[in-house]
Amino acid sequence: MTEPSAPAPAAVDPLEPWPDTVTWRSVSSKLITVELINRAIWVIVLLVALGVADAAIDHWIWRAAMAVVLVFAAWRSIVTVRAVRAWGYAERDNDLLVRHGLVIRRLSIVPYARMQFVDVTAGPLERAFGLATVQLHTASAASDARIPGLPPEEASRLRDRLTALGEDRAEGL
Amino acid sequence: MTAADTPRPDSPGEPSPLPGTAVEDEPRRRLHPLSPLLSGAKSIAVIVAALSWQTLSQVGVERFALVVAVGAVGVVIFSVVGWLNTGYHVVGRELRIQDGLLWRRNRAIPLDRLQAVELRRPLLAQLTGLAELRLEVVGGGKTEAPLAYLTVREAAALRERLLALAGRTPGAVDRAGAEPAAGPPAERPLFRVSNRDLVVSQLLTPQAFLLPVGVAFVIMQFVLEGSWTFVGIASTVTAMAGVLLQPVRRVLQDWSFRLARDPDGRLAVRYGLLETRSQIVPLNRVQSIGVTWPLLWRARDWLHMRLDIAGYAGPQSNDDKRSDRLLPVGDFAAARALVWEVLPGVDLATLETTTPPRRARWLHPFTLKSVGAGLTPEVFVARSGVLTRELTMVPYARLQSVRVLRGPLQRLLGLATVYADTAGGRSGVARDRDLAEAWWLAEQLSIRARHARGQPPAVTAVVAVTPSPLQPEDDAYWRRPQHP
Repeated sequence: MTEPSAPAPAAVDPLEPWPDTVTWRSVSSKLITVELINRAIWVIVLLVALGVADAAIDHWIWRAAMAVVLVFAAWRSIVTVRAVRAWGYAERDNDLLVRHGLVIRRLSIVPYARMQFVDVTAGPLERAFGLATVQLHTASAASDARIPGLPPEEASRLRDRLTALGEDRAEGL
Repeated sequence: MTAADTPRPDSPGEPSPLPGTAVEDEPRRRLHPLSPLLSGAKSIAVIVAALSWQTLSQVGVERFALVVAVGAVGVVIFSVVGWLNTGYHVVGRELRIQDGLLWRRNRAIPLDRLQAVELRRPLLAQLTGLAELRLEVVGGGKTEAPLAYLTVREAAALRERLLALAGRTPGAVDRAGAEPAAGPPAERPLFRVSNRDLVVSQLLTPQAFLLPVGVAFVIMQFVLEGSWTFVGIASTVTAMAGVLLQPVRRVLQDWSFRLARDPDGRLAVRYGLLETRSQIVPLNRVQSIGVTWPLLWRARDWLHMRLDIAGYAGPQSNDDKRSDRLLPVGDFAAARALVWEVLPGVDLATLETTTPPRRARWLHPFTLKSVGAGLTPEVFVARSGVLTRELTMVPYARLQSVRVLRGPLQRLLGLATVYADTAGGRSGVARDRDLAEAWWLAEQLSIRARHARGQPPAVTAVVAVTPSPLQPEDDAYWRRPQHP
């Protein structure tokens, strides 16, 4: 316990850690538009609410809040572009890899054999842009394998493949 | 409705005269006639608690009693109607439970998904010779399908039957039918916690240390204020009891804790004084084991162990309700023996972990040496905590998914945290590993999980598993004597 910790095992080339040797597939860039519209709706709702409040009670704090909302929305919008590009997934022989997140980067490895069920969802906005979200559920609530922004045909292909592989290797628990 | 039409070859334990006849011969059974009274008693207690001392002081004792009596009658009538509408029966490899008054519910529980069965006997049930049978299935936030109440004999027989059905593979021929007549086969006792140790261990908790302070505080308050109303004292005491009597509750719950292996190799856990619980867990349903060394127990060299089973709700759920004890208190030798029983091949004394790289001390200024993770041949080990040390063991075969997380600070330092998720709700966490090592850990975890599940590894074209000079089999890296 008193020794300094050992160097990392040299199992992987430090210049090329394995997540980068996987061929990642990215999600549709239309997701950026969807996210932006989604945010815009919220911003408008907030601004209207603040505007009403401003009209009712004249105080500088409402206008300050509006400014904060706008700045925050602008900043988030810039981030969104990169955040959507950060989503990626890869189907390997035995497991599905999903990575996402900019500030906190997450990578999930979910074996097909552990799949309990697959969700394909699409909200009204997503549908308008022809997108869908595929989510793989395992028996563990902590598992986090959600892929948004897939074109419908890719979503159903993924769903069919996941269920087929899941049946092949079923071993729920 | 489906099972009635399709003849099932494996309809077990049923005296079906012809193999081709429908299986729904077995009549729907009712719960014990006393159950509405017993479950009603529980609701009455809730009503009384909801009315609180404050109401008692305001409306007077007679009114209070009247309100409670009216409530009680209502509850009992409601329970009786509920009881009339509740029934269960075994159909094929399913347990079906019907209940509900307005919203009828007909639930089918596939028995091969059964995780654990528990027989609970609250005080009233002990007095009347009844028991509650609780089935744990995956997916429910709470225990699904508690059958409350059955007679003890009935409950035990049903449990045996359900477990026998659950343990068999779908195609197996029914041979278990004649066995119950032979009488209960012998169990092999494993361990017994002495009640003296249990009491001492619960006295060595922060709450027990706070108890005198709390009592003194209450007395001081009344002496200084001079207001000695009964209601005032009673409500203060009730409020404090909730927090401070936790050790007492633990003692009552874990009283006379016994562990055994039943003839089929399952783990039988029994404990409790006012409410006895008897739980049977098939060993392949154990999702993870957690070991905790509380600070105050260190003088006695004690620890406690937790058994995670899928189906019990996550870590945020109420500690009292969960039945996840493997060892309420015990020394290291006992824990080692038990771990060996539950996870064969895992020796608590030789689990090595390594600490994160030194640069991780920016994130753990004082606790770096206490954080660690390691891969052993059977389990993934993670430990943490300086004052209260904890160790989690996750068998590879029970891994559900692996996650790698990198926060902003971690990316600055080139670190990553690896999570090994299980269905038990708790994950094994390797905090702040070197990035390259984290990738390697994640890959190893998923490969080992695949092997442990008994699948031939499919040829992985994308990622080559580079032979490492520091495989865990090589003692140089992973074997370092540092057991807690």
